[in-house]
Amino acid sequence: MDNNKHIPLRTIESTPALGNLDRICDMEEGRLSGKVFWDQAIYEQELEKIFARCWLFVAHESQLPKFGDYLTTSMGEDEVLVVRQKDASLKVFLNACPHRGNKVCFAEAGNARGFICNYHGWSFGADGGRLMGMHESKCYEESHFDKSKHGLREARVATYKGLVFATFAADAPSLEEYLGPMTWYLDVMLDMDEGGSEFLGGCIRSTIECNWKIAAENFVGDILHGGWTHDSAAKAMLGGPVANVGELPESYSVNWNGHGYEFATDVVGNAATLGERDINKYLHVLRPKVAERLGEFRSKLIGAISSFTVFPNFSFLPGQNTVRIWQPRGPHKIELFTWVIVNKNAPQDIKDKWRRGAMMTFSPTGVFEMDDGENWEYCTKTAKGVVTRYQDLYVGLGMHTRLDDSELPGNVFKGQLNECNARAFYQRWKDLLQAPTWADVPDRNGKLR
Amino acid sequence: MTLEQSLSFEEVRRVEQFLLREARLLDDECWDDWLLTLSEAIHYWMPGIENRRREDKAGPYTLEHMAFFDDGIRELQRRVSRFKQPSAWAENPPTRNVHLVSNIEVHAGDQEGEYRAYSCFINVRSRGLDEQSQITGRREDVLRVEADGLKLLKRKILIPNAMLLCKNINTFL
Repeated sequence: MDNNKHIPLRTIESTPALGNLDRICDMEEGRLSGKVFWDQAIYEQELEKIFARCWLFVAHESQLPKFGDYLTTSMGEDEVLVVRQKDASLKVFLNACPHRGNKVCFAEAGNARGFICNYHGWSFGADGGRLMGMHESKCYEESHFDKSKHGLREARVATYKGLVFATFAADAPSLEEYLGPMTWYLDVMLDMDEGGSEFLGGCIRSTIECNWKIAAENFVGDILHGGWTHDSAAKAMLGGPVANVGELPESYSVNWNGHGYEFATDVVGNAATLGERDINKYLHVLRPKVAERLGEFRSKLIGAISSFTVFPNFSFLPGQNTVRIWQPRGPHKIELFTWVIVNKNAPQDIKDKWRRGAMMTFSPTGVFEMDDGENWEYCTKTAKGVVTRYQDLYVGLGMHTRLDDSELPGNVFKGQLNECNARAFYQRWKDLLQAPTWADVPDRNGKLR
Repeated sequence: MTLEQSLSFEEVRRVEQFLLREARLLDDECWDDWLLTLSEAIHYWMPGIENRRREDKAGPYTLEHMAFFDDGIRELQRRVSRFKQPSAWAENPPTRNVHLVSNIEVHAGDQEGEYRAYSCFINVRSRGLDEQSQITGRREDVLRVEADGLKLLKRKILIPNAMLLCKNINTFL
């Protein structure tokens, strides 16, 4: 049952697009201005036209095995509840009571048959989110209140191989269309092994005073920073510098609708940074089976030097197996939610090694992440100066390197040291901010440089 | 061993001094000296805290869940080795630390030659001109007398926060 059908929602007109977007974000020329990281008006538009519109990652199915299992997260700044239903499907509700708007669930995870608002006792079934009753229910009856017409507002939900996405936009394309050919690459992480993937227990949360786009862009296609920013971490974990990415024999950047993946074909380049020989061994032993499953080419990517962002704010690193969302909290702040993803059928000691390895590398105590956070905060904060804010930032690396004859899916570019994915990301960002509806969002695939 | 077997004043004092010295070593970036205060068999653990309901049997943390630290000596040595790299760009200019330790309670440990110590800490870090972050929490330690002195064998660090309100933990707690 869809609660939204029972509760007719008055639609809100899309606010007009901001002027000057073409001046501050020109991806034909590969120029961007820091204003996009600082401006409150831009941020409000992002919440409306990106976060309330796009398919956003909310959970992995393995986090909610049983009926009544729930977790709370947010879609942009909208707080939501993800709940496993009696029929084994998943529903996503606004975590806000339709009476006065108070939050109905304060725990981050658990199991419940229902949710009761602390304010006036409105109670909602975990199964379907319908209004079941409330404090002093008799007085509502006297005002001809029909409780069957009330419930928690529902989002559209769709899954891809364990990943659960949701959107509040009725006119959004299907998740399949939204992800497009990028699913071929997502399978490297999600489907390399029979049994698929799962999240290990728990989520680590932290806050970084940076704009969400800087973090998302870093994972969409910036391995360029790796060798420089992360030199200290690589020396600590590997006893030597980061692999010289520019000299790897075969690497690519691919993108589609603002999603992006940059990758080498070196099998274990990312995984090696965990400094756990058993993980490298596990991947090498698994690789022939992956080749049977996904083909020889993709079997070379399972732990390779690579990073992935699904537009707008869901990212992961194969090999380190860290999965994260960059939750926007105003233009100058994010909440970072991180999880560890592993193959469900991996041995327990390998899972534990990945859990610790992700902690050691990419977490608030991770030796790699420490240097990232520092950079991202100051890419944001410098834009508080008006002169700095309008300085042209260069995003032109790899112009004219598209491989038009590649057999790989998506928009394929030569090499990982390439800002084509960042350009595609910011182009998609601008297109969404300028489009009044989903139908107005232009198709840039095949046309980006 | 029961709590009635009270420790001598000297023993309590020794453990207190150990904890206070440790805090000073961290503030002064004496990483190698700090590593020498640790047992080779150390388990240094700071679990992530989950915001769950009281009746939820899962509790706020478990050994299997993600952690900020879940380290043995090898992991701690690796963290120290990053701090010491000249290319640890985010550490230059350095982060300035104050570790305050208080509420120290010392008991006899489960094994001969071991102590159990409870303490609270406040860590204040400042970077640049105007950045400050503060982490407060409780610790449960097991210390052990080894051949070359008193060593930290186990540390459990519990912070009250289900979300870290700063970007990283570029120190030890």
